[in-house]
Amino acid sequence: MILAAQTQGFLSPTGVEIAFLLVGLATLGAAVMTVTTKQLVHAALWLVVALGGLAVEYLLLTAEFIAWVQVLIYVGSVVVLLLFGLMLTRAPIGRSPDADSGNRPVALAVAGTAAAALVWVVVDAFRTQWIDLDGPAQGSTEVTGSILFRHWVLPFEALSVLLLAALVGAIVLSRKRAGNSETDPEGES
Amino acid sequence: MSPIPGSGLAKGLAVTLRTMTKKTVTAQYPDAQPELPPRTRGVIGLFEENCTVCMLCARECPDWCIYIDSHKETTPPAAPGGRERSRNVLDRFAIDFSLCMYCGICIEVCPFDALFWSPEFEYAETDIRELTHERDKLREWMWTVPAPPALDPAAEEPKEIAAARKSAEKLAAARAASAAPAEPAPGGTAPAEPAPGKATPGEAAPPAGEGGQA
Amino acid sequence: MNDALDVAVRLLIVFAVFLVLPLVIGQTEHKVMAHMQGRLGPMYAGGFHGWAQLVADGVKFAQKEDVVPAGADRRIFQLAPAVALLPYLLVLLVIPIGPSEGAVGQVIDAGIFFVLAVMGVGVLGSLMAGWASANKFSLLGGLRTAAQLLAYELPMLLAAASVAMAAGTVSLPGILNAFEWWWLPWQIVGALVFFTAGLAELQRPPFDMPVADSEIIFGAYTEYTGLRFALFLLAEYAGIVVICGLTTVLFLGGWHGPMGADGLGWFWTLLKTAVLAFVVIWLRVSYPRMREDQLQRLAWTTLIPLALAQIALTGVVKVVI
Repeated sequence: MILAAQTQGFLSPTGVEIAFLLVGLATLGAAVMTVTTKQLVHAALWLVVALGGLAVEYLLLTAEFIAWVQVLIYVGSVVVLLLFGLMLTRAPIGRSPDADSGNRPVALAVAGTAAAALVWVVVDAFRTQWIDLDGPAQGSTEVTGSILFRHWVLPFEALSVLLLAALVGAIVLSRKRAGNSETDPEGES
Repeated sequence: MSPIPGSGLAKGLAVTLRTMTKKTVTAQYPDAQPELPPRTRGVIGLFEENCTVCMLCARECPDWCIYIDSHKETTPPAAPGGRERSRNVLDRFAIDFSLCMYCGICIEVCPFDALFWSPEFEYAETDIRELTHERDKLREWMWTVPAPPALDPAAEEPKEIAAARKSAEKLAAARAASAAPAEPAPGGTAPAEPAPGKATPGEAAPPAGEGGQA
Repeated sequence: MNDALDVAVRLLIVFAVFLVLPLVIGQTEHKVMAHMQGRLGPMYAGGFHGWAQLVADGVKFAQKEDVVPAGADRRIFQLAPAVALLPYLLVLLVIPIGPSEGAVGQVIDAGIFFVLAVMGVGVLGSLMAGWASANKFSLLGGLRTAAQLLAYELPMLLAAASVAMAAGTVSLPGILNAFEWWWLPWQIVGALVFFTAGLAELQRPPFDMPVADSEIIFGAYTEYTGLRFALFLLAEYAGIVVICGLTTVLFLGGWHGPMGADGLGWFWTLLKTAVLAFVVIWLRVSYPRMREDQLQRLAWTTLIPLALAQIALTGVVKVVI
């Protein structure tokens, strides 16, 4: 991150900062709705709003590439997959109270802890660094690509190996069990 | 299967593209009248001068959709001292086209050629009761009845023409015999059987004088 | 002030294109499909060969009652058409039609990703409609839509990635600037895959299983009436414009033409787009609908391997050059 810390302050915020804050609030609200709504499909749709809000945040930080990939992968594919699964199994219109388990307090505690940890880590890592939004875009495709393939090649490749493993696992799980009984007992789920 | 993969797909595309370049077959009906064959069963016309109120059509109608009212009139005897003639006068002749199934039996059974098929078909109404058409309307449709199609090349001639020709030939033969009493009468024509066609309806009298067929 | 005016004018133009081009394509479809079937198509509306048929249809749709089924999820049901339609409007904003700066609504750095991402969102509208209608046929249509999207998004992305690799950029004008005529044979497989997958994503025949009228009435749109239904239809035709425009830009060289791009660039783009739109209609007339399993088989066993092969070819050629 390039620093331009001297002239910045919390007072007299710029337009982008105000927009960032408002979109952040909206995203947070959508996220809360996702986990509190009693209607399954509504939860998935609120998730769309939350993920879309996140993409807008990326855009405001000039990370265009990441923003569109966010929309493409999460809104366009993951949520569609989620909705597909919901429709295939059970997606009643209206409330589905039986979908609530009794783990609300535990879930709340876990979520709170995770959020606190993340916020603390991020705040501690960046402190008072400011991104210079006026200069050349720092999240453009070119910059992202060169950073990814110069400084972060090893994690990138490790991730791809992970995905490959997931792919192979999916094929193994979904393959029809032929007559041979040596496949693992839990099989397809 | 086809030697080249995908040639079936290409063939499908070619068919549609070729069809696009050809002339369309759409009949633009209200703008252009359809060309109907002469025996089209559009509507039934009544040639009421020929009707003798014999009621055959009404009785044979499977749908009972023909309504006929009539009364008797007597006419004075033709010769003094003769019998009074009575004759049926048509008061009402109506066909309910909401019942009619266009079988054409009435036209077939009419012994006096008073009913005819007309290709006219544009008589839709908004009320079903208005589909019962009275005799003046049926008479008007007579004007739309086309002349019967020409006979087939080798067909027998209509019996009216055959009869007329026979009498004309007899007359000619008699004249010839009186002029030169030597030759016997000519061989004559084949015995005339009832021809399938009907007389030309547009002309009131049977076309006795016209030359027959080609 | 000048900037604001410029932006407003651009938005206005894109919006006008968005409203006009789908209608033009719809009318072309009426006429071309009719003539391919030996018919004449609409002849009355507007007087000359029924040119105003779709305007008349629009008026009819606007007059109809907007019915929401009693058991439906009202808000989502009403929101769905907008979700289906808006993405195409956004995509149209970034498709360049000419070489100059002014010939594109908005230059976006990661153009390909923007386009593909936003188009994926449009399908969400169909899913929402299918679920919220409280109708089993609609739900089936929504399911089929989702399955189809999941299957065809991947080959589409891979084919687009091949072009991005060839050009070394993901920006749409950047790709066009790098375009050479020999890309055409080089990327032809990718072009076919992209176009086919795009058709499938639009649910156009022969990939219209999600709206198969003989079995599930009209899929996710069964319960819609009036203006909202018209919006779904508009989305379909706007989708044709977008897919054809994208194929033109990515694979056919956009504004490049045999007589040079000076001043005529927009013409070449529009011409290529129109030809592709004609092909879309042509395919609809020529082929019967594919079954659901055939759809999935085509995507996973044919298109994806082809797209991967195209990427490999692109990589090899790129390294050799």
